[in-house]
Amino acid sequence: MPAHLITHRPGPDRRTSRGAGRLRAAALGTAFVAVLTPVLSACGGDSAASSGGSTLKWTSSYFPTHWDPVVGGSGAQFRELALAYASLTRTDESGKAVPDLAKSWEYNDKGDQITFHLRSGLKFSDGEPVDAAAVKAAIERAQKQKNSALFGDLTSIKSVDADGLDAVLHLSQVDYQIPQLLGQRVLQIASPKAAKNPEKLDQNPVGAGPFVVTQVIPGTKALLKKNPDYWDAKNIHIDNVELTSAPDASTVVSGLRTGVYNFADLDPSQASAAKKAGLDVFVQPGFNASNLSLNVNKAPFDNDRVVDAVRHAVNRKEFVDKLTFGYGEVTDQPFPKGYEAYDPESENAYPYDPAKSKKLLAEAGYKSGDIKLNLVIPAEDPQAEIVQSQLAKVGIKVTIKIDKNWATPFFAKDLTFSLYGTTGRDSAAQTLTAHFGPNGPLNLSTPYEPDGFEAAIAKVRETPLDAPDYTKVLQAATRAGLESKALVFTYSQPNLIAKSKSISDLPKNPAHIDWTGVTISGS
Amino acid sequence: MVRRVLTLTSGRIAVVILAAIALLAVFGPLLAPQNPLATSDNTLAAASGSHWLGTDYLGRDTFSRLLDGSRVSVLGSLEVALMALVVGAIPGILSVYLGRTFEWLTLRLADTLVALPFLLFAVAVIALLGNGITQAMLVTGALVSPLFYRVARAATLAVARSPYVEAALIAGASTGWIVRRHVWVKVLPPIAVALAQTIGVGFIIVSSLTFLGIGVQPPAPTWGGLLASDLGYLSYQPWAPLAPAVLIMITVWAGNLLADAIRDVSGEAGRAFVNTRKARANRLGKPDPVSTGGA
Repeated sequence: MPAHLITHRPGPDRRTSRGAGRLRAAALGTAFVAVLTPVLSACGGDSAASSGGSTLKWTSSYFPTHWDPVVGGSGAQFRELALAYASLTRTDESGKAVPDLAKSWEYNDKGDQITFHLRSGLKFSDGEPVDAAAVKAAIERAQKQKNSALFGDLTSIKSVDADGLDAVLHLSQVDYQIPQLLGQRVLQIASPKAAKNPEKLDQNPVGAGPFVVTQVIPGTKALLKKNPDYWDAKNIHIDNVELTSAPDASTVVSGLRTGVYNFADLDPSQASAAKKAGLDVFVQPGFNASNLSLNVNKAPFDNDRVVDAVRHAVNRKEFVDKLTFGYGEVTDQPFPKGYEAYDPESENAYPYDPAKSKKLLAEAGYKSGDIKLNLVIPAEDPQAEIVQSQLAKVGIKVTIKIDKNWATPFFAKDLTFSLYGTTGRDSAAQTLTAHFGPNGPLNLSTPYEPDGFEAAIAKVRETPLDAPDYTKVLQAATRAGLESKALVFTYSQPNLIAKSKSISDLPKNPAHIDWTGVTISGS
Repeated sequence: MVRRVLTLTSGRIAVVILAAIALLAVFGPLLAPQNPLATSDNTLAAASGSHWLGTDYLGRDTFSRLLDGSRVSVLGSLEVALMALVVGAIPGILSVYLGRTFEWLTLRLADTLVALPFLLFAVAVIALLGNGITQAMLVTGALVSPLFYRVARAATLAVARSPYVEAALIAGASTGWIVRRHVWVKVLPPIAVALAQTIGVGFIIVSSLTFLGIGVQPPAPTWGGLLASDLGYLSYQPWAPLAPAVLIMITVWAGNLLADAIRDVSGEAGRAFVNTRKARANRLGKPDPVSTGGA
């Protein structure tokens, strides 16, 4: 700018007072702009630029509706809550429980008492100490709080004694699953001081996790910064997190391309576009399994032949081909293939066989079109349309009903026919009881329980996880559970993620998103 | 009036398009070359001889779904328009004759309905009464009805104060007779304009609701629903949303065009407008004799 003015200046010897004034104004203007530019840019929307350091911009389909882990439950949003909350244990890449807030634990000889030894000197983000009293308060709150979504998962815990940094859990039964159970899904521990006001905690999370929440805009966005007091802070290399609720699936890739996000859950239909855009697309291992839920207490599923007809009418490959674009896999169990609890002996027990299905329906006394079912689901779902089409081929007429209040009749076990998809649990026993137990939340046929399941699952609990026959015992329980006529498993939806290449690879912890050791370059 | 509308080019275009859309609504499901609900392994296929608009994510023929979906889309918009007409026009006319209390009540009710956001209200009603296009459209129709109320009331007020109506009253004519004989004729043209406009508005509402997956249970196809599902697969079929989007646009445009044409030819001004056009056309067809001079 000054150079430009100089070219218009008549000459140094002929500088007029007006010209000098212009020069001063220009100099002042330049200085003003020079000062204003960084100020304005700092006021911009990119908090990464303003605060410096590496920023994770994660847009998630599971943006937490509740930030109180007791209310949030053990569903998929635990992954986002794990940014702010730590747990007694976590899982490693093999899915086994490893230390988190607890540095170690041990069972008594009988197996009905477990003591967790906490790390010393840890604090919640509000300054409260992380000790056994906090663990006791967290467990008791999860068991007693009115709106707790976790009380059903903690039935094995009779009482808790707090002794400094030692939390002693007295169990109502021998249960070697507890370290698996009390990981990030079921017992994310909040500050007991903050938890005294659960409504406030629900929007202002206070934990001892790798990040501290600085702002929550309900249902939309959360801002977090690195927690320097986290026990493993040296291995957390991300300074800031911007967590947002995922927009429409078709716009996620555009957001990733333009840098609005650098990490996102991805619908399989968008994988090809994400790859073309030069993003890293990968499947995080998981325990996802989708199923048809049948209520055997209601007609026509009170007839075993009808249930078997439905089992043979389901073509699992069609779900995988049309809904996962090749990233998923078929499963006829509540786990994907390859998982420790997956029972190879039960594989393909009810192969796709529409002819057999029709024959079974005829034997049950039903002609084509006699059975009319309402398939009640919470929102539009192509799975339902596939089920409708497959059952139509064997003569069962299905009408899809979308009920926005679906959860109430589903968990009250009032529906006859529905769909569900689990993201799994770290404890296989917990997954099995949720599906096949008499009061399992995912058992639409409560109090029905397949014969032999109760004994089989009790044996799983009584078997230490490092016992040589543990896998065999676990698979036997799966086999017993799969005798259930209330569930027909179909396919495993992939945990598909797209990320910017600037983010390093994540640990392959199944069903978890672990930020330990992850770096973001170019920040 | 129909004949007068057809004298205008815009009126003819609108009528042709809306007639074609109406035919689609009646015969579309019958014309569908394939079962619109039948899935196949041929998913997200490109346009071909067997699938003129390709197939969707479940391998269903998109052209057949578009034809089949026309009925729900058109009927929904008609439901909105007719509901609004009935709920709005009749109280609008009666508000002039049934006393101050009725007038005050209906005016306040119309003000209240105007203040409610219809899309949000339709979603709330569906959540309350269940997911169905009929209940959504009836409620939306009630919310659009203030348009008819105000149009009918304004036209009725103008007629009610005219000297010939006063003369009829003095001569002993009943209110009912006056409404049937004088008022209705004057109110009809502006209501026809509002009706044509509301069909377009109704179409947008139906398309918006079905786009959001509200009102229609899957797998029933609708134009709005097709548009929404196509957007999820843009990387495979970037052209797919064009067909439902263009159909929605053309229908709404034709509704608005018809409303404009009716407005142009209705009332005294409209008659004058048409007469002027006719006179101009006559002049162009038969030029006036050219003066050859001389006294």
